[in-house]
Amino acid sequence: MSDVSSDGILKGVKELSLVHKLSMHLGVFVILIGGWELGSRLGYVNELIMPPPTAIGYRLYEMFFITGSIYWHYFVTMFEAVCGFIIGVSIGLSLAVTSAISPVFRRYWAPYAVVFNVTPGIAVTPFIIAWFGFGWSSKIALAALVCFFPPFINTLTGLLYIDKDATELFRSLGANRKQYFWKLQIPSALPIIIAGLKLAMTGALIGAIVAEFFSASEGVGILMQRFAFRLNMDGSFAALIVMSLMGLSLFTLMEYMDVKVLFWRRHSRMEEVSKKRKAKWSIN
Amino acid sequence: MSTELDTDVSHNIEIGGDFKGGLGGAMIRHLIILLVLLFVWEMANRTGMGDPLLLPRPTDIVLSIWKIYVTQGNVWYHLWVTFKEAMLGCLIGCIIGIGLATAAVLSDVFRQFLKPYIIIVEATPRIAIGPILVTWFGFGMSSKVALAALVCFFAPFVNTITGLLGVEEESYELFRSLGATRKQVFWRLMIPTALPTMNAGLKLAVGSAFGGALVAEFISAQAGMGILMARYTMSLNMPSAFAGLLSITLYGFILFRIMEFIDYKVLYWRTDELMEKKSLKRSLAWKKEMQS
Repeated sequence: MSDVSSDGILKGVKELSLVHKLSMHLGVFVILIGGWELGSRLGYVNELIMPPPTAIGYRLYEMFFITGSIYWHYFVTMFEAVCGFIIGVSIGLSLAVTSAISPVFRRYWAPYAVVFNVTPGIAVTPFIIAWFGFGWSSKIALAALVCFFPPFINTLTGLLYIDKDATELFRSLGANRKQYFWKLQIPSALPIIIAGLKLAMTGALIGAIVAEFFSASEGVGILMQRFAFRLNMDGSFAALIVMSLMGLSLFTLMEYMDVKVLFWRRHSRMEEVSKKRKAKWSIN
Repeated sequence: MSTELDTDVSHNIEIGGDFKGGLGGAMIRHLIILLVLLFVWEMANRTGMGDPLLLPRPTDIVLSIWKIYVTQGNVWYHLWVTFKEAMLGCLIGCIIGIGLATAAVLSDVFRQFLKPYIIIVEATPRIAIGPILVTWFGFGMSSKVALAALVCFFAPFVNTITGLLGVEEESYELFRSLGATRKQVFWRLMIPTALPTMNAGLKLAVGSAFGGALVAEFISAQAGMGILMARYTMSLNMPSAFAGLLSITLYGFILFRIMEFIDYKVLYWRTDELMEKKSLKRSLAWKKEMQS
C-alpha cells in the first residue's frame, strides 16, 4: 500500500499555458498508444499478451453500452469496498480515540497494534473466506481488516502530537478537557487523519478485490480473473481500466473531502469560509 | 494541495512505549494479560462457546506450530519460496522505482510527462493486475516476483522524487558559492537530504512486496506461504493455518526490525550517539592524514 501523495512532483517545472500543456500531454499519449497499436497490428507484439488498444477500447464499449454487464459487477465491488471502508474506519478511529484518551489502554494495546502492523492484512484472506463464506460479507470483512490500520495509527499520532504552545494557550485560557479535545486535538489532527482515510480508501478497494480473486461469484475482481484465465486479454485489460476508474473516482471523492474539511489549508477556501462566518456573526 | 509527505506514520508504532516501572515489569504485565486472554479463549472453546473448527484453541495452534516446524518441517520450504519471491520482487521494484525517480528529478521534461501516468498508477489498485501477470508469466515463481515488484515500486519512487526535490534553496546557494559540480551537488547534497524519505519508502516497499507475493500465490501457485495457508483453510485445518499466519507475522516483524536497524545505521546523523562516534572517527582519520 503506498502512502505518499504525488503532489509536489511538478516542483521546479516551468509553468506553461493550459492549452499548450494539454496538447503536449495528449501528443505523447497518442504517440504511445499509436505505437502500441501499430506494433500489435504489425505482429511485433503478441496479441495474446498485449492486445491492441482498439480491441480493449471496443471491449470497454461493449461492457458499458452493448451488454451492460459491467454495471452490476462495478456496483458489487464498490459496495464491498465502501462498506468495508466504513466499518474499518469506525473501528480504527474509535480505537485511536480510546488510546489517545487513556494511556493505560494505549500501553496494553500497543503490542497488538505492532502485530497488526507487521502482518500484511491480505495474508488473512483465506481465514476470512473460511469464516464468512463466499458471499459479500467476506469481501467486506477483508476490506475492513485491510483498511483499519492507517486511520488508527494516523489518528493516534495526530491526537498525541499537539503543539506545546497551543496546549499552553488552552490551559491558560482555562479550557476544560472536552474543549481541549474538540477545539484543539481534533482540528490539529484532522490533516493527518484525512491522509489516513485516503490510504484506507485504497486499502479497502484492494481488500475487496483480493478477496474476490480468492473466491467470489460477482465483482470486477472475479470478472477480470475469469477473463485472464480464458486468455481473453482484451477483456481483462478492460476490467483493469474499470478498476482504475473506480480507484480514481474514490480518490477524487477523498480529495474533495480534503478540500471541504481542511478549509484552512487552502487560501481561497479559507477566505470563503471566513467571509461566511463573518456574515453569520454580524447578523447575530 | 496539501503536501503531506509523511502521511503513513506506521513507523511511529512505538507510540505506547512509555514503559513505566522499567522494561522488566512492563514485560511481565504484558505477558500476564496475554496469558489471561489466551486462557479465556481456550476455556471459551472448551466449554463450547466458540466453534473450534473456525477459531481453533490456542493449545491446538501451538501443537500445529510444533508440527509444521519440527515433526513435518514442511513450512521451511514454503517460507523460503515466499521469502525469495518477495525479496527479488522488492529488489527489482526498488531499482525501477529509484531509477525512474532519479531520471524524473534530473530531467524536468521527463517529470512533466510522467505526472499524469503517476496519478493513474497511484489511483489504480496495483495488486489488481495479478491475474494478468499470472497469465503473462505463468504459474511459477516469475509471476510472483513480477507482482511483488509492481506492487512495491511506487513507494520508493514517489518518496525518492519528493526527497530529492525537497532540498532547500539555501543549501543549493551554499554549494553553488563553494563551486560544487553537478555531480557533487547530486551525491553530497541531494542524496543525503533525500535519504530519510527514501528509507521510509523502502520500508513500505518491503512490506508491500511481501503482500504482493502472497496475493499472487493466492491466485495460483504450487509452493509458498500463501498457497500453504489457502490449502489449510480450504481443508478446514485451521490450527495449521493459524500457525502459518503467525509465521508470516514473525517474518514481517523481523523484516521491520531489520529495516529499522538499517535506518538507524544509515541515517547516523539523526542519533546523537552514533553521530558522535562517527565524527570522532572522522576527526581521528583527519589528524592521521595531517601527521603523515
